Amino acid sequence: MDTTVYRPTEQTPASSASCARSLTKVYGRGAAAVHALDGVDIDFAAGAFTAIMGPSGSGKSTLMHVLAGLDQATSGTVRLGDTEITSLGDDALTRLRRDRVGFVFQSFNLLPMFTAEQNILLPLELAGSPVDRPWFDTLVETLGLGQRLTHRPSELSGGQQQRVAIARALIAKPEVVFADEPTGNLDSRSGAEVLSFLRRSVRELGRTIIMVTHDPTAAAYADRVVLLADGRIAGDIENPTPESVLMGLEALRTLEQPAVR
Amino acid sequence: MLRLTLSQMRRSLGRLSAAAIAIAIGAAFLAATLIAGGVITRAGYDAIAAAYGDADVVVEGDLSTAERSELLRQPDVAAADPLTAVMFQLRAHGQAHLQIMLPVPSDPRLGSLTVSEGAAPTSEHEIALPPATASSLGVGVGDKVTVLSPEAAGSSQDFDVTGITDDPRNAWSQEGGAGLVTSSDISAWSGERLDDSGTTLVAASDGVTPTELRESLSPLVGDARVLTKDEAAAAAVSELSDGGNVLVTVVLGFAAVAMLVAALVIANTFQVLVAQRTRTLALLRCVGATKRQLRGSVLLEATILGAGAALVGLVAGTALAQGALTVLNRADLDVPLPSTVSITPAVVLVPLLVGTLVTLLASLVPAREATRVAPIAALRPADAPAVGARAGRVRLGVSLLLVLGGGGVLLLASAAAGRGTGDATLLLGIGTLAGALSFVGVLLGAVFWVPRIVALLGRGLASTGTSARIAAANTVRNPRRTAATSTALLIGVTLVVMMSTGAASARTTMNHELDAHYPVDLVVEGHQADGTERLDEAGVQRALDGVDGIRESVLVRTAMVEFDGSEGDTVTVAAVDGDAAASVVRDASLVDSLDDGTLLLPASYDDKLAGDATVRSVTFDADWNRGPDGPPVQLRAVTSDLGGYRAIVTTSMLDQIAPNAPVSTVWVSLDPGADPATVLQDVRAALPDGALEVSSAAAERVSNERFVDAMLGIVVGLLAVAVVIALIGVANTLSLSVLERRRESATLRAIGLSRRQLRWMLALEGMLIAGVGALLGAGLGLLYGWAGAVVVFGNVGDVLLNVPWRDLVLVFLVALVAGLLASVLPGRAAARTSPVAALSVD
Repeated sequence: MDTTVYRPTEQTPASSASCARSLTKVYGRGAAAVHALDGVDIDFAAGAFTAIMGPSGSGKSTLMHVLAGLDQATSGTVRLGDTEITSLGDDALTRLRRDRVGFVFQSFNLLPMFTAEQNILLPLELAGSPVDRPWFDTLVETLGLGQRLTHRPSELSGGQQQRVAIARALIAKPEVVFADEPTGNLDSRSGAEVLSFLRRSVRELGRTIIMVTHDPTAAAYADRVVLLADGRIAGDIENPTPESVLMGLEALRTLEQPAVR
Repeated sequence: MLRLTLSQMRRSLGRLSAAAIAIAIGAAFLAATLIAGGVITRAGYDAIAAAYGDADVVVEGDLSTAERSELLRQPDVAAADPLTAVMFQLRAHGQAHLQIMLPVPSDPRLGSLTVSEGAAPTSEHEIALPPATASSLGVGVGDKVTVLSPEAAGSSQDFDVTGITDDPRNAWSQEGGAGLVTSSDISAWSGERLDDSGTTLVAASDGVTPTELRESLSPLVGDARVLTKDEAAAAAVSELSDGGNVLVTVVLGFAAVAMLVAALVIANTFQVLVAQRTRTLALLRCVGATKRQLRGSVLLEATILGAGAALVGLVAGTALAQGALTVLNRADLDVPLPSTVSITPAVVLVPLLVGTLVTLLASLVPAREATRVAPIAALRPADAPAVGARAGRVRLGVSLLLVLGGGGVLLLASAAAGRGTGDATLLLGIGTLAGALSFVGVLLGAVFWVPRIVALLGRGLASTGTSARIAAANTVRNPRRTAATSTALLIGVTLVVMMSTGAASARTTMNHELDAHYPVDLVVEGHQADGTERLDEAGVQRALDGVDGIRESVLVRTAMVEFDGSEGDTVTVAAVDGDAAASVVRDASLVDSLDDGTLLLPASYDDKLAGDATVRSVTFDADWNRGPDGPPVQLRAVTSDLGGYRAIVTTSMLDQIAPNAPVSTVWVSLDPGADPATVLQDVRAALPDGALEVSSAAAERVSNERFVDAMLGIVVGLLAVAVVIALIGVANTLSLSVLERRRESATLRAIGLSRRQLRWMLALEGMLIAGVGALLGAGLGLLYGWAGAVVVFGNVGDVLLNVPWRDLVLVFLVALVAGLLASVLPGRAAARTSPVAALSVD
């Protein structure tokens, strides 16, 4: 697969950065088959911060993995920008992840033997791309990591580690950053800090972020919240507040009792 | 607890099996060695007992004629024969053959041979031959063969072939069978008196048991010992098989090395198993398991693994030995070998016990670590196991002490041996001990310096790419494990390189000695019956011209000269001119100082003859009666490094000393590519009949080299087992790293590491670990090899140290390729794992 289709986000038409059509993901077969995703149609706007919410088992993590090219869909199509990714092979997917997608994980997943700076620059090194120093400096300043660059992950607090992870996800200026429960392992103050950084990177740095979370407070930092239940889109909240998100979730529960194990 | 241990083992089956293979190989090695030792001993016993025929007792020791007659007069004795075997020179139809001959026994029970065709000789000048000899000479029953006298040249006697012998017990099969003649012919044609043989076989009269016969004969034979046949065979074997036992002991030493390496691999495996099970162990502690129970569980696991693997190894080793024996038996080597291996308790118990014990010992430290797991660890998220605790200062101290102390003593021993002072055996013992101690020190300290060297090399590697940088960083994450893995390989490589360096130095040293000792490749000398050494120069020259592989031959005249005023000191001088000498002498610098007026003395002559001297040639006839002397000549005698017993002068000088000196010697140099043994054979075949002696230093050099190479091949083959086990260790370490870093690998894959890059990363890690082990092992092996060569050959002469570059490069490449191969399976496993699956692990 050719990577020349990549265009910086700024030039991409303000349509969807990522979209899915009739997306289905089935685990197992026959009687044991579980429909993790059951015909999902969704668009994620470029330059927006979107949260995917839903109870455990609703398929939100699976949706994110398939959108990011980490997992194969059973049927349906997924686009990243102009690229149809469901048909790509492993090498092309690897290049796509390297050049056009960024990840932030719940458990940070920094490499323990490298310093913060080395961790941030790793995606560029893997791609063999030159380092955009002004962009690096901007990220370091925005995320407040200036004093921590020479430290190894074990010498950093959880919040600091997650900020390093965010910088790593943004360093290659990807079209979309996927964040999987980025505050799940953080105390509420560090969590709030990390979420503000994610929002700033959308508002001030023009990034696109898709975040999976089950925390209504975290979801409220996003521009839009997509609610997922039983592998289907169950709701869509623009400009959410914690209250509106909670109400949306309540509505889900009353709709399909008992939704959660 | 047993059930828990078993279920944990089932879960870790893959990881345990690598350790099991290591211990099984070691145990198989051990079992096969012990069985081979048994076979060697039994083959020796059978061969010796076969030579005794059906004798009832054997008298060991010389008997006087009176004692022998006394023995024969005893009513208990039916017959008594000395055990004799002599060489006969046979000829027939132009073929010559050297044949072992035995006397016809006075009682069939005392003979080891039977006659399968015709009859045994009954009178003078009759002979029975083994089938192979009869067919190679082209004779059968009723034909004649010529027996040459060993004493009087040219004298011979025709013998009638009366029968073909058979050797039902293979007593003489290693010597190509044996023939029979009457005992009077034995003494007449072998020149050896029968009474000189040290062993007498005795057959008992009817109704007398061997023990009774032994009791009744003991008082009659003076200092000689009377033994039953079984006792005698056992005694002879224990005397003979000293050599065999040494061999078995040496091979067992290699088995010990293999076991040591296996122990390192096992210790590593268990360390990581414990680290991986931290959570389970902590959970067990939470629900009430005591530290003792956890330690017991780990040790129980080790015992089960060790015993199981050792059993597999024992079976494999026995099968291997039986297979080898079957192949050897089928190859018909004329060696009486048993058809099945004999399983003694030692063969079964030693590998089982050693295998189990080594595994148990190797797991002691990991077991202690298991008890250190705090219950709280169960509640923490599972992360990659933390870097092991820092190694203690005591370890560093002991290691330094052993390295410096052992190394120092080894240096002193080498220095003493190099100067040729001190008892060689004592120095060898001290040197070996000191070397072993210093090596133990090096191994103990490996955890301190191996990771540093890995880091250093890794830094160089890191500049080649991101995969390399991650690989280099990964390698030093767990210094202890990397050190242990590298060390396992280092042991094998050190020993292999040490042996090959030692062998290379030995070869160079021995060749240098040979060059000095036998300055010429091949020498033909005349030895006439009339005492002169004249040879038929035209005939010899013609013969040599027809032989391939000869570069140059120089006819040399010789004369014996006497030094005036030196109480009859004589030396044989050979006359060659400088140019001719330089073209056939291997080391031309030996004859540099030769000019007219100089006599070059060989190194074996003392300095007292050196200096200005007057010499005259002297002649002797066959009975050593002095003939006419030559004129006195003034010259200067110079000592040189020349080997042998001949001095050298120029031809014009010899013309002055002995104008009539005959050509007695031909010096021959060989083509560099020619096989000296073949040339020697061809020269011998081509030379005309007559009293000529051919000797070839080149052939000796080649046979020396072959011997050294064969020994080296065997030793390196044995050590290769240790290297193979160590490589299993490298693969093990890598696959454990892959499992430990599942999540990290997934992260890397998620942020853009391709499958190829991931596999390459592991390959680099494997090659770095293996390469460092090989590099350090090669360096250490070189040092130990040199020290060993100096200690062993210091007394022989100047030791020339040699670097076996080819072997070093080979070892290094093998290690790199093996490191690469070791990463293949783990790399595939890592690349196959989908990033999602790995990321969801928590």
